[in-house]
Parts: sequence; C-alpha cells; structure tokens
Amino acid sequence: MPKRTHESPLKSTDRPYLALGLEGSANKLGAGIIRHEVDGSSTVLSNVRHTYITPPGEGFLPRDTAVHHRQWALKVIEDAVTISSVSMHDLDCICYTKGPGMGAPLQSVALVARTLSLLFNKPLVGVNHCVGHIEMGREITGAQNPVVLYVSGGNTQIIAYSRQCYRIFGETLDIAVGNCLDRFARVINLSNDPSPGFNIEQAAKKGKRLVPLPYSTKGMDVSLSGILTATEALTYDKRYRPNDSPRNGDDEDCFTSADLCFSLQETVFAMLVEITERAMAHIGSKEVLLVGGVGSNVRLQEMMGTMAEERGGKVFATDERFCIDNGIMIAQAGLLSYRMGFQTPIKMSTCTQRYRTDEVHVAWRA
Amino acid sequence: MAVVAASASTTALLNSSTLISQGAEAKVYRSSLHTGSVPILLKHRFAKQYRHPTLDSTLTRSRVVGEARALLRCLRCGVSVPGVRFVDQASGILGIEWIEGRTIRFLLGSGDEGDGAHDGDSEEDDHDVDSLADYEVSKDELMNMVGTEIAKMHLADIIHGDLTTSNMMLSHPSSLNHSLRIQKLVLIDFGLAYTSILVEDKAVDLYVLERAFASTHPASEPLFASVLDAYKRKMGKDWTAIGRRLEDGK
Repeated sequence: MPKRTHESPLKSTDRPYLALGLEGSANKLGAGIIRHEVDGSSTVLSNVRHTYITPPGEGFLPRDTAVHHRQWALKVIEDAVTISSVSMHDLDCICYTKGPGMGAPLQSVALVARTLSLLFNKPLVGVNHCVGHIEMGREITGAQNPVVLYVSGGNTQIIAYSRQCYRIFGETLDIAVGNCLDRFARVINLSNDPSPGFNIEQAAKKGKRLVPLPYSTKGMDVSLSGILTATEALTYDKRYRPNDSPRNGDDEDCFTSADLCFSLQETVFAMLVEITERAMAHIGSKEVLLVGGVGSNVRLQEMMGTMAEERGGKVFATDERFCIDNGIMIAQAGLLSYRMGFQTPIKMSTCTQRYRTDEVHVAWRA
Repeated sequence: MAVVAASASTTALLNSSTLISQGAEAKVYRSSLHTGSVPILLKHRFAKQYRHPTLDSTLTRSRVVGEARALLRCLRCGVSVPGVRFVDQASGILGIEWIEGRTIRFLLGSGDEGDGAHDGDSEEDDHDVDSLADYEVSKDELMNMVGTEIAKMHLADIIHGDLTTSNMMLSHPSSLNHSLRIQKLVLIDFGLAYTSILVEDKAVDLYVLERAFASTHPASEPLFASVLDAYKRKMGKDWTAIGRRLEDGK
C-alpha cells in the first residue's frame, strides 16, 4: 500500500499452524480447516457447509435453526476432518463464532466448540463473524488495504482499516440488504433453495422494466426497509402480473415479479455502490473488497467493477464458497489472532448477538 | 427538441472550461458564460455507468434541482451562499457564482494539508499563498462569521448535511465588486442539503461540524467553542433546545 509499509506484526513461524473453524451464526452450519504455512501462505484443507433450508415463503426461526445445527454438527465436522486428512490432535486451536448472529444457533455451535476443546485439550478462540469475512476475503483475493463492503442477510457495512481496527464508515440504518432481498423473495414465493437471494438474482435476469422505487442514501449510510415495503406494496398493484403472464397488446403498462426483482436489485445495489464510492473518495483508496453472502451476487460485482474502473481502481470479490458464511473464514481470523497470542478461556467462551466489527482489536495488522 | 439543444450547448460550455477537482459525485469546473465575462463554477454530476440509465437520470435531475433549490432558499433568507447562475437538470449541470477566496480549512492551516490534497481546495496552489493576515481577519472573527452564517441558515430551516471546514469559504476582499473591503464568509456545497424544522437535524448538523473540526484541526476546541458562541447569539431563544439536543447526542 502507498505511504504505509509497516512490518506485519505476525511473526514468521518455524512450523505450519492448523486451525478448525466452526460457524453457525445464521442458517448455515460450516466447518473448515486451514493451515498457515511457514512461508506465510495458507492452504484451505477443507470447507464443509450445510444449510438449513425452509419451505418457500418462510424464513428460518432461531430455535429450528439451532436444532438443525445440533443435528448436523457431528456430520459436518467429521467431513471437514476427513477431507482435510489431518487428525484433531494436530490442531493448534479451535475457533468458533462469538457473534454477531442469532442467539440460539450461536450457542449450539459454541457448545460444540467447547466440547471439542475439552475432549482434545485444544485452546478456544472466539471470532467476530464480520472480521472472519474480511480476513478470508483478503486472504483469497490478495487485496492489501481495501475499502470493504460487507453485505449479507444480517449485516450491511462499509468498513476500512485504520490503526488496528476495522472502522465502520457507513452502514444500514435499519435492515440488512440480504434481509431486504430474502424477505421480498418470500413475498413472491421464491424457493429458499439454494438461497432466496440467488433466486432473486436469477429472476432479475428476466426482468426488463425498471419500476420506480424509493432511493435513500444518507451520507455514507443507507436505509432499506422503506424500499422493501414499497416493493411489497407493488405486488398488490393492479398492474402487477404475478406469473409472468404474456402481455397482450393492450397490456402495456404492467410489470411482472421478475421486473420487481430487477428493479429492487438495481435500486439497492446502486445505493450500495454509491456509498462505497463515497467512502473510497473520503479515504482515498482505490480497492474495494466485496464480502458476505450478497457479495456473491454477480450483478453487484459487475456494478462495483464499473464504479471502481471509473475511479481507476479495482474490485475484489470471491465466489459462494467464501462469500456465504463458512467455517474456514472463522478458522482464518481465529488463527491470525491465536498466532498473536489471543485465546478465549473456557469460562469466557460465551457468544453474543451484538458484536460490532469495530470492537475487535486487529492485532495482526500493522 | 429543447433538451437536446440545451445539452449540446452545455457540452460546448464544459469543453471550454477547466476541470478543478473531482469528488465522489461530481466534477467541478471553472468556466464563464461569455468570453471575458466573470467566471462561474460548474458542478457536473456526470452519468454513472454502473447505474441503470433511467435511475441515473432521475437521481441526477432531483439532486441538481435539490441543490439549486437549497441555494435559492438560502439566498432568499439572506444566508451567504454562491448565487445560482444556471441549472441544466437534463445534463446534470449546476452553474453557480465563482467565489474568489479560500476554504476555511486552508485558512486555519490544518496540520495535514498534504493528506487531502485532492479534495478540491488546492486550486492555484503555487502562487500567492494566502493567509489569514491577507484577509485582514483574526481567527476569532472568522469563527464568529462561521457561527453566525450557520445560525442564519438554520433559522431558515435549511440543514446543510455536510458541514465541514472545507465547505466554507472566505471570499477575498479584493474580489468583491463594491468598494467596501469586507470579507464575506460563504457556505458552499449544498449537495446533501434539505429543509427541516427539527431540532434534532440542526443539532446533528452542528455535531458533524464539531467532528470535522476535531479530525482536521488539531486543538480545535476553543475554535469550535467560539463558533458555538456566535451561533448561540444569532439563534436567540431557539438555541436552548438545540444546545440541549447537541449535549444529549454526545
């Protein structure tokens, strides 16, 4: 990066480090094993995920999601260990998501982590979910000091690193962008398999007409709940054609559910790109990193790419393996802080639904 | 079509202008409507390729008009802002009065001028390095002017939305056409402005300014205190509620 080229505080090692990461803050249960090599590179040995999928029109409730995680925990972890072909005894630490997320699912996974830690006598490391996303994104893309747009079902934040802290420059004032898209998918009865957001993206490809929706950015913040309400209200409009029914000659002024998906995506993504551009101009950065489940949306990546290009910059994005919640990102962030000497004693191995990105001391960066 | 004709002539105008700076949203040019006439400033909200064209033009139109309206409202209420020279909403261009002078940020000599070298207050950097002495005004008087001007704006129920020391200018005494050599403080960049009667919004406006002072000017507490003093005096009885809200916010 220009100007600052401090030494990394991470000491080089004489042996590889291994970590198991467990993630279950929402409806995805993930386990992954990462190895930090002596030369400073890292290898993903395994990355297993199982998603709790609800019927169309329904969201996931915390209690049922926790049950899902409990039922699948052993299978998912076993698979992760088998694929990686390392033994549990070789691990340096076990990392779990401390927060933010849904209480019940978080607790189920934390319990599994504690049990494993006692069984195999391995130290625990509690990880902030958002920092996990950022660190994995940096690792995979090689972006050095990007402005991070973290967009998922529960979070929408614009983050930049400064003095051992991931500072939040802008965020949603109400609901997250993934929540906005998912809830609209439920309104129009799209399937939750593989994810409602993915199905919105596919439907949007068929949409042609841009229906006017509210557009609300405030400085570097956005507000999304009003847009969801407005889009929902349009499904009761008399011009709305739910089943993409053929338009005859006198059916000019109508719109389909695909048009609504298209309009919703275009509007909210334009808002996100706008505030990201603002943050880039403010900070003077030319790199953007897209993380979080919504970050795997190709249309968002495309729009962000156009904006970055216009500014002479570059966008970094990953695919669904690393964008959508996974265990490996928890392992990555956890192992980084473990190598800086951080551990979570079993008595302190709690989880919390509220855990802001800027509360974490990023010891491993200069 | 009138719209096309308008854009064609504005394109010609843009081509004859000099680019001064580029922010996140707009490019800023120095231009003049007739050769040899007084200079004006053009703020061009250029088309964003990432946005759907329909959405882009709707947004650009409403923002250009919004900024022009906020400026006109300020002018009607006697707040010192640049005069509006022309509005071409179809091409996203706003022409406003050229202010010959310096931003307050520059005049206060923020410690880290190099840091924000590209944020637009670096025009004509090489010659005549102005200072406060050049403007025949003390820091205290300057802060007084800032507080009074913001109060006038808030009394007119206009919220600036992005109050920083980079968004205020002191016009150079020699640039004023009347013979009285008075310096004038001008508020600029109303891109995020809106109207509101809420105490909350006015308090937030002041809070944003306080944060801007703290982050750009070292040891700014006494400076901001004198801004608030002047603000208080001008606001009169309206101050009580805003002051309380400002304290609550911290």
